[in-house]
Amino acid sequence: MSLRVLVRTFSELCITVGTLIVLFVVYVLFWTGVKADADMNRQIEQLQNKWAKGAARQTPADSAQGGGSGSPAGSPGPGAAPAPPGPYENGKAFAVMYIPRLGFTWNKPVLEGTGTEVLKKGLGHYARTAQLGQQGNFAVAGHRRTYGDPFKDFPKLKRGDAVVLTDGTTWFTYRIDTGPYKTVPTDIEVIDPVPRKSGYTRAGRYLTLTTCEPEWGRSHRLIVWAHLDSTRPVEAGKPEALRR
Amino acid sequence: MSVVPWYDGRDGMYSWFWRHLPGNAWVKALISLVLALAVVYVLFQYVFPWAEPLLPFNDVTVDNQ
Repeated sequence: MSLRVLVRTFSELCITVGTLIVLFVVYVLFWTGVKADADMNRQIEQLQNKWAKGAARQTPADSAQGGGSGSPAGSPGPGAAPAPPGPYENGKAFAVMYIPRLGFTWNKPVLEGTGTEVLKKGLGHYARTAQLGQQGNFAVAGHRRTYGDPFKDFPKLKRGDAVVLTDGTTWFTYRIDTGPYKTVPTDIEVIDPVPRKSGYTRAGRYLTLTTCEPEWGRSHRLIVWAHLDSTRPVEAGKPEALRR
Repeated sequence: MSVVPWYDGRDGMYSWFWRHLPGNAWVKALISLVLALAVVYVLFQYVFPWAEPLLPFNDVTVDNQ
């Protein structure tokens, strides 16, 4: 075994490892996005198909309940108060989120759960937090980088920005009250029903978004808080925040 | 074609590999390409999805679920 073979083999190993690293970077930066975008579009498509079918067999009786939970201001007419959807199914999409500040065409599915596999396919709803539009804190986590970079522009969010969600029957428009707040990963208080640091003091219908900080790191989390501003039935058309 | 261990050849492991592929240069090139694509497929389909969560980009929740 000559020195030549040793050197040659070593250089071939270096080239192999280098190629592996380049491929892995391509996978992380590019391929996860391709896959996540396809997954998210499919989730949204499936949701819209499901909602289209559901709307066909919806009866006026559906609007009877929901009044007990005290719909917030601006939900006029029958059909405005949505049936509480029942427990969300883990890993399944149940709503679509729109944030005009992140882009006019920005829309992502919201899935139940915050596991790694769930967050590959969309935004994840913290399972133990309130349901969409209900009393309490509807908390959602999303990737800042990789897997489609859904929350890449998270720091641009500011007070007054709309976060619009729909569950197929109702549009929920939340307004951001507290801009990106930096905290540590163990600060689970931020998704409490009344998150203390948000400045909210009374029970209400809140929304919390969480993502990682710094952009490519894990040391901190960024949080924004919003309150439910208005709701409207889907038949009434898109809410103002989404019109242009 | 001599059947010698790769470390006994004059060159490194890839040339050993090349010498042990059947056929002429074109066939060898084709087989190499197919094998390389298969390796990339296995990496993207199985190895990288396993390795990626070990990086910090997945930690976006506040309760580490």
